[in-house]
Amino acid sequence: MSGSDTQRGAEPEHDHEHHHHEGPGYATPQAAIEESEREKLAYVMSLYVGTDVDASDFVAVVDLDPDSDTYCEIVDRIEMPERGDELHHFGWNACSSSCHMDGLERRHLIVPGQRSSRIHVIDAKDRRNPELETVIEPEEVFEYDLSAPHTVHCIPDGEILISMLGDADGELPGGFLELNDDFEIEGRWEPPGEIEMNYDYWYQPRQNVMVSSEWAAPKTYYPGFDLDDVEDGNYGQRLNFWDWEEGTVEQTIDLGEEGLIPLEVRFLHTPESTHGFVGAALSSNVFHFYEDDNEYRAEKVIDFESREHDDWDMPVPALPTDILISMDDRYLFGSNWLHGDVWMYDISDPSNPRRADSLSVGGTFGERQEVQGRELAAGPQMLQLSLDGERLYWTTSLFSSWDDQFYPEEADRGSVMLKADVDPRKGTMELDEDFLVDWGECPEGPARAHEIRWPDGDCTSDVWQ
Amino acid sequence: MTSHDVTLEWPDGRTRTIAVREDETVLEGAERVEIGLPFGCRTGACGTCTGRLLAIDGTKRGDGVDTGGGDVEAAFAYRRPPRALKDRHRDDGYVLLCIASPRTDCRIAVGSSVHTELVENPWK
Ligand code: FES
Repeated sequence: MSGSDTQRGAEPEHDHEHHHHEGPGYATPQAAIEESEREKLAYVMSLYVGTDVDASDFVAVVDLDPDSDTYCEIVDRIEMPERGDELHHFGWNACSSSCHMDGLERRHLIVPGQRSSRIHVIDAKDRRNPELETVIEPEEVFEYDLSAPHTVHCIPDGEILISMLGDADGELPGGFLELNDDFEIEGRWEPPGEIEMNYDYWYQPRQNVMVSSEWAAPKTYYPGFDLDDVEDGNYGQRLNFWDWEEGTVEQTIDLGEEGLIPLEVRFLHTPESTHGFVGAALSSNVFHFYEDDNEYRAEKVIDFESREHDDWDMPVPALPTDILISMDDRYLFGSNWLHGDVWMYDISDPSNPRRADSLSVGGTFGERQEVQGRELAAGPQMLQLSLDGERLYWTTSLFSSWDDQFYPEEADRGSVMLKADVDPRKGTMELDEDFLVDWGECPEGPARAHEIRWPDGDCTSDVWQ
Repeated sequence: MTSHDVTLEWPDGRTRTIAVREDETVLEGAERVEIGLPFGCRTGACGTCTGRLLAIDGTKRGDGVDTGGGDVEAAFAYRRPPRALKDRHRDDGYVLLCIASPRTDCRIAVGSSVHTELVENPWK
């Protein structure tokens, strides 16, 4: 296969003996920028759950090599063994945090089903033709009184940690499930009951800190978004700061009404940094958090105004559902799923993000509603940025039941993946009109597309020790 | 084991009648005869498998929404609590097919569009 020339993580064993190397990933964020090659493949979570297409969810392998005959096509699909998973977020068994671990490879993708609580392990040694290796069945997960797996990060010693949003019944509290390096459940990572709600998390091992955010109980968000649940306080608005080694919550920050539904949470990549950002989706804000005098603080630094639309009864919130930080820690990118914006802020001074550029595409207000004649059925959602910060890609599905509520056409047309060329020097973005990957043309019927990962690590999964 | 005739009705007009045993759920009964119905969690938390009760025993469900809850209770036994449904959904005749076993012959609206009826876009 073609992958071995570009994929550090997939080097055959003997290479390790020749070079005095080292585990997976890159020594520093700067090394990731300098040493990585352009991304040629993407793995993308793809799903049928909740539609009438009677097929399993799959991981799509997308060709991103402009010199390839199959550029912008789904060149392989790893189908899940069962239906009903709702593939959502996923991660590697190892990242740059294990750079010192000789013999460990960035080779296995941990692919949880958000609705099923089934956890799949895919062997991606052959980068173009990965294979399903192991499945952890939901019953095994429920034994730890956990369900609804979300964010996957590796722990620097080869183990894997997954944020779990609910208990075995889909109620609160959530917690964290730990897998060992044989992909077996090791147990709960934290003493149960440290938190109520859970969602995304990120850790900064050199600072011995982890931060986790809050969506809601699975039974609350699974069926769809109901304003009554907001009024009843069933949605999250807190950040939890953990002692990374002890697995205990040291501090909780209530973001208040302007911090409703804090979703994706990112520390800067620099391992010394204690600065990070979180997007509060429902209240359409971005908060900056940082350590000050042994305590974390959080301040609202970006605010997106709701907009009036002739066809809607109430002002439409922006709904920033994803954010990411460029590998050089210079830019914060995000997506306003309802409004239809992709935006870019300069965060050189993290307390005062400066708007650099934005693109208006898809969604409720997007200036462009089609690309290559293909109508866009939803707004920009999950983002991924090239390691060099020059290409931003995104997909359009948020969560099947929420998609059906806000963009019902997506069920019939499927998702797309789009791309913008970024000029980090000038701080500008331009839509690449030649780039379109269409999940509307999948053989079994239109599929949705969610999180994106590169084989060689990316801006939303790599952490440094 | 006693079974009941459950008629599944899709929005496109397609119908299928299957015999579902009292010890299996409607979803399991459909899978046994290789009919694909939507599902997710299979534990009553996600609502993906939602169906709507249309009639019991060949007679039409009351004329309305207000009797639906009682009708659902008469028609099905739940294996575990239907957490994905709020009271208003239960009253309106919605039923989670992954955990509901029939206690009588009935007709149910199925397909992914039933699930989308549970919540609306609050801003529109
Ligand atoms: S499949 Fe989730 S409630 Fe039935």
